[in-house]
Amino acid sequence: MVDPLVETKLAQPRPRREAVPRPRLDALLSRVAGVPVTVVSAPAGFGKTTLLSSWLAAADLPVAWVALDARDRRPGRFWSYVLTALDRAVPGSAAAALTLLGSGQAAVETVLAGVVNELSVSDDDLVLVLDDYHLADGPEIAETMTFLVEHLPPQLHLVISTRADPGLPLSRLRARGALLEVRAADLRFDGHEVAAYLNDLHALGLPADAVAALEERTEGWAAALQLAVLSLRGRTDTAGFIDRFAGDDRFVVDYLVDEVLDRQPADVRRFLLDTSILERLTAPLCDVVLGGAPGEGRSMLDLLDRQNLFLVPLDDHRRWYRYHHLFGEVLRAHLGNERPGDAAELHRRASRWHADDGEVEEAVRHALAAGDTSTAADLVESSIPELRRLRREDVIRRWVDDLPDDVLANRPALAMGLVGGLMASNDFAGVEERIRAVEAMLARPEDELVVVDRAEFRRVPAAIEMYRGALALVAGDPETGVLRARRAIGTAPADDDLTPAAAAGISGLASWTMGDVVAAQASYVAAAAGLARAGHVADVLGCSLAIADMELTLGRLDAAEASLRSALELAEQHPPGGGGVLRGTADMLVALSRVAWHRDDMVEAAELLRRADDLGEGAGLPQNPYRWRVALARVRAAERDWAGALELLDEATRVYVGDYLPPVHPLHATRARLLAASGDLDGALAWAHEHRVAASDALSYLQEYEHVTLARVLLAQHRAGGDEGVLGNVTALLDRLLDAAEAGARTGTVVEVEVLRALALHAAGGVDDALVALGRAVDLAEPQRWRRFLLEPGPGLGELLETLARDRPRSPFLRDLLARRASAASATTPVAAPVPSPAERLIDPLSDRELDVLRLLASDLDGPGIARELVVSLNTVRTHTKHVYTKLGVNSRRAAVSRAHQLGLLSRSAR
Amino acid sequence: MSTTPEPGWYEIRLQGRLDERWAAWFEGMTVEPAPDGVTLLRGQVLDQAALHGILARLRDLGIPLISVQPVRAGDER
Repeated sequence: MVDPLVETKLAQPRPRREAVPRPRLDALLSRVAGVPVTVVSAPAGFGKTTLLSSWLAAADLPVAWVALDARDRRPGRFWSYVLTALDRAVPGSAAAALTLLGSGQAAVETVLAGVVNELSVSDDDLVLVLDDYHLADGPEIAETMTFLVEHLPPQLHLVISTRADPGLPLSRLRARGALLEVRAADLRFDGHEVAAYLNDLHALGLPADAVAALEERTEGWAAALQLAVLSLRGRTDTAGFIDRFAGDDRFVVDYLVDEVLDRQPADVRRFLLDTSILERLTAPLCDVVLGGAPGEGRSMLDLLDRQNLFLVPLDDHRRWYRYHHLFGEVLRAHLGNERPGDAAELHRRASRWHADDGEVEEAVRHALAAGDTSTAADLVESSIPELRRLRREDVIRRWVDDLPDDVLANRPALAMGLVGGLMASNDFAGVEERIRAVEAMLARPEDELVVVDRAEFRRVPAAIEMYRGALALVAGDPETGVLRARRAIGTAPADDDLTPAAAAGISGLASWTMGDVVAAQASYVAAAAGLARAGHVADVLGCSLAIADMELTLGRLDAAEASLRSALELAEQHPPGGGGVLRGTADMLVALSRVAWHRDDMVEAAELLRRADDLGEGAGLPQNPYRWRVALARVRAAERDWAGALELLDEATRVYVGDYLPPVHPLHATRARLLAASGDLDGALAWAHEHRVAASDALSYLQEYEHVTLARVLLAQHRAGGDEGVLGNVTALLDRLLDAAEAGARTGTVVEVEVLRALALHAAGGVDDALVALGRAVDLAEPQRWRRFLLEPGPGLGELLETLARDRPRSPFLRDLLARRASAASATTPVAAPVPSPAERLIDPLSDRELDVLRLLASDLDGPGIARELVVSLNTVRTHTKHVYTKLGVNSRRAAVSRAHQLGLLSRSAR
Repeated sequence: MSTTPEPGWYEIRLQGRLDERWAAWFEGMTVEPAPDGVTLLRGQVLDQAALHGILARLRDLGIPLISVQPVRAGDER
């Protein structure tokens, strides 16, 4: 993971070495595993985190712990931490959801629904702790959290620790008895606990009246008691101290921190104030902030850790710490009051350390806190290219809000970099104004401008054209999009690969939208080449998918295969930093499976899909789950396993995620083809009605697939006894489709349409014309061994092919096609589920009951829903699910279902 | 409740005596002791968001809040 903070944010704090036994709170918390939601709500310093960490250490439940901070108020960041924590606690539970979340293409609710469905059949109970929730709470987080709370699976117990009641429907939860509350009154130390804390734990040997005085003065506030102990330690005149403290009416923490600070040696006191500006402390960073001799940081942190002075460890290696929030606030107030001018310099040093350490976000934050906006701007500007390469535009996007506008006024490269962050986040409002401001800057003499990164500066004019092209495309004006993109390519400096590549991508998308597949394909090839040179390998994979798709449409099956194979090679040469395979690798295999399907090589097609699945969730783009299901559905349909194919398409619809490409092969049309082929004519006609696809429509490339689908449906209707009017309609439609495809050089469509025309003409009795059409399709398909369209079932096609084969006796292609048709036809009943290879057969077969559960795991029912359906308890479902996972060798519901499809376990005909 | 964007004057009463050096911490509001161990924070607040920022800082200190009152500029107690 790129995020260096993740370890410290997700580490479950160790319980305190010593603590007072608090049986009444243990009794309260023992109910957590019995309620959906627990809220621990109390002011700072009441011991919320301490209580939860010591209880969880004893409770022996899987825990997902997230320590939130103020940067987690954006749902993307908040949920990425929460889902990562969940997936670590129950492996496999949130992997798919994380991919989906990362795509930015799905609503958070959709993402969460996936996690809920996974967890709702999990065998593990799980506690999710959101610590310091008040720091992240806000309208955006509250909305998505409310969704989670309302769909909480029974296995998941949510614990929110907060200083302010969360923006959740608490009264509704309370009324349902679904809420456990631990509040300040519960957390206050009572008389016995105060006595135990002072005298048993810290052996202060205080008399009863002194204990009572401290209890009254601190009101059992844990932070105050802890400070009182620090103040009392090593003091001879304890009675005098307690008297003075009890008689004083100053704010208790203020008073005690003063006491504790006053008793520290000068170097400790200075360390505490100097480092109070840090959110997280580590020895080398402290050294730099102190500005003294190296090594002081380590010895001070050890000292504070030993003496229990304000520090909270953030990991198990004593590398990172933070100050307890409450004391940190007080220390910063002391710093600001005693040495008002010093904070800026301390922040400046922290900024430098983080910049050298490569943590640019922290470096920028400290530079801004120091008031050094120009340093912050320099840091941002020089880090933008790398963040862009890592696809961390979300970080760039956040800086748009953090950097004051005036610092942008003479920094064109920086201003343009921020525009890139906005565009990548689909945040188009105000972008045109920003671009105009940059243009105005470029008109000024160069010595009035601030430029940190010369290369970024030189690409600004091209970037202006590129982003304007993208804006035009978004606004529905692809012509201007192409025009601007071309200008961007023409203006880009010679050593800039990225800008022309991005512009070519925009141009390709615009051409595709307009139906100019030839231009679109050429643009995408240029984009992929530029992206490869710029080192954006992951983006090359995305481009290759589009290229292969277009090459199929253009009738270049061999070229499509070659594009995918070279992209696959590229992916294999560039494994990601953390090991594993590059995301997008699985997508290449799925696309290659489609090529194999076109060649009618179903064994290869299925094998490629198996390989894609074995790579796991992390190897696929967010769209891969649905594309994988569509590809396997096509294989199943070719095997005439209609039920299995339809089930896969329904699943594909459930896991569908869009992308920026035009949806030229909508799932509903693929489904209609399947219905028509399987003989469900009513279903297929209902599709045409529902989606308003008619033979008389004006044609456009974007709807071409749907109109060819309609032609198939109408042909099936005629075969089933439709009148001659239908035949006339479909012939006219096919003629028009042929003209359009030829005009657009879409040879792949030509092949398909010519086959369908041959069928229509044959049905109308025009055998000679039918042979001409079919001959043309064969001429185009033969050199590329493109068989799929020529294996259409249907009475006429076999006859026509035989006639053609008599005319062309030396065509092995035609003989091969006829042999394949004969063997398909000899299977009079629908082919059963494919026989898995011996390696794929389960060593330990599933029981009937496990198969029942497996079938429902493929549905969108959650765990309780499955239990109701099978009339068993949720626990039974959980046990069966666990066995199913073990036998299939997977760790998630989604993986179990795709494995089951591969093994043919979900085909109804397999029963 | 007033939603005017103009800066308003507020008086915030806290339980516990707070040292005057905290003034900088509360965006320049004055910190004045009042009878019965109460502290008054008084000053001009830019808008509602700024007021909530100050209340959040009080919450983060764990200092008990008694009341928040809009007052007219220069009002004497």
